[in-house]
Amino acid sequence: MYEIWLTLNILFELGMQYLPAVIGTVVLWLALMIFAATRPGAGWKKAIAPAFVIGIIATAITFFITPAMTKSSFANMGYWVDWMNLFFYAAAFGAVAAALAWPIAASLRRTA
Amino acid sequence: MSHTPETPCVAPDVDETRRRLLFGASVLPVVAGSGLTVAAQPAQAALKTSARIVIAGSGLGGLAIANRLSRELDGAKITIIDRKEIHNYQPGYTLVATGIWPVGKVSDRNADLVPAGVEWVREMVAEFDPEANAVVTDSGKRIEYDYLVVATGLHLDFAQIEGMDVAAIGTNGLGCVYPSPEAAQATWMAMDRFRQQGGHALMTLPATPLKCAGAPLKMTFMIADRLKQAGTRAASKIDFHSALGNIFSVPRINEEVLRRWAELDIPVTFNSKLVAVDIGSRRATVTSPEGERTEIDYDFIHVVPPMRAPDSVKNSPLSWKEGGFAAGGWLEVDPKTLRHRRFPNVFGIGDINGTAKGKTAATVKKSAPLVAQHLIEVIAGREPSLVFDGYTSCPLLLREGSALLIEFDYENNLTPSLPMIDPLQDSYFAWVMKYRLLKPAYMAVAKGRV
Repeated sequence: MYEIWLTLNILFELGMQYLPAVIGTVVLWLALMIFAATRPGAGWKKAIAPAFVIGIIATAITFFITPAMTKSSFANMGYWVDWMNLFFYAAAFGAVAAALAWPIAASLRRTA
Repeated sequence: MSHTPETPCVAPDVDETRRRLLFGASVLPVVAGSGLTVAAQPAQAALKTSARIVIAGSGLGGLAIANRLSRELDGAKITIIDRKEIHNYQPGYTLVATGIWPVGKVSDRNADLVPAGVEWVREMVAEFDPEANAVVTDSGKRIEYDYLVVATGLHLDFAQIEGMDVAAIGTNGLGCVYPSPEAAQATWMAMDRFRQQGGHALMTLPATPLKCAGAPLKMTFMIADRLKQAGTRAASKIDFHSALGNIFSVPRINEEVLRRWAELDIPVTFNSKLVAVDIGSRRATVTSPEGERTEIDYDFIHVVPPMRAPDSVKNSPLSWKEGGFAAGGWLEVDPKTLRHRRFPNVFGIGDINGTAKGKTAATVKKSAPLVAQHLIEVIAGREPSLVFDGYTSCPLLLREGSALLIEFDYENNLTPSLPMIDPLQDSYFAWVMKYRLLKPAYMAVAKGRV
């Protein structure tokens, strides 16, 4: 439980550091959701697959660029803990990308 | 009032919550292995009291205690005494001094961290009078207390190094990471100039207890890496002079670093103490235990000053009067409870404590909840119930992009927070902890939330 509380606090403090980006992302996502929800026949279920693919792509991109963006490199991956953490970090961004892609895809894949 | 910390943001909607949880879950393994774990404190009702509590110092320890007590005590009169307006994230100094972070990342406003309802006296404690339960500030103001938390930090004793001038850091190849963000930045400027052509780097370590005892080692690893990046390592020589018979107090880490330095061609001279520096001539003087003085020419020097308690503590009844901590005037606390051994209404936290380990932010992180709880227990008429194990953590920079995540206790046991963490493994994860995640954790500690 303590680790979860610590994680949430770190995320909160990180969020405070990047508050404009966090707010911008949330506002963008809400706007996309509202836009998609108000479109007639938005294909929410059909949009899951493309949103998932977008998430996978974002995860892969984040995975490959993050070491360099943190002043490191793949040469510094010492053991499985490093790879695991890099993957989860990338997956988090992938999840955000998927969440943003979902309403867009739903708007584009309207049901008949 | 509940002990449960405040919710850190406005209530999110359901999907945002899911997204946050997903993000949190992704970071959890990173954070869980951060070496910053303590047992979660149970939620409890605030204790009603009219106690007068003085906290001397507004560094990480003082702020963490102030924030916790202001939340967990109802009616207490809490006073923080410290003049400084800027709160510096000292664990970031090594990142600034090695060109990794810009200097602006380590400074925040103290006013943003002092809790509401706490009186902030913008002066310094000049005298402790524990027999009378009072402190006297440098303006002569006398402040009485029922309970005292000493969180003054320590004193960098540059006066013990003849010729040393803090204002000259950054010039003539003179570096020192410790005094301030500006000194750290100036150190990087000097290191950056040095690495362009290479030469002789002299790295030093004094014999006293140090805050962030890993910093001299980090600077040594990083100067080797910076020379290598600049292509001047082969034309350079790095010497490490330790005033002790080792370079780190934990034997397993000492051996590991020495092994790595042997591979990096960084020889160590033991029992060699820096006593003088001629800044203009770039010449240092070291002495052996027998008093033999040797002059060493250098192109870059990293000076690590001897450290001791501030005069206000050192010259007070609160300091150790005998034993190994007496010379430095460190606060005489019980290492397990962090309660003063002779004045039971006094506690210590942070660098000032005369304990075998623990002059790091990670130590404050683990000991702040304990000190706050012990103080509350004493106010409630009970004895302190927790035991501090001396936990300390050091993300030891090895090179740009990699570090070791070292955690240990009073007994020199390596104590990784999670079994999967290998403290002797070069690690990107440990690097990211240092580079990106520890400052947010530090801020949460200062606010008394973790």
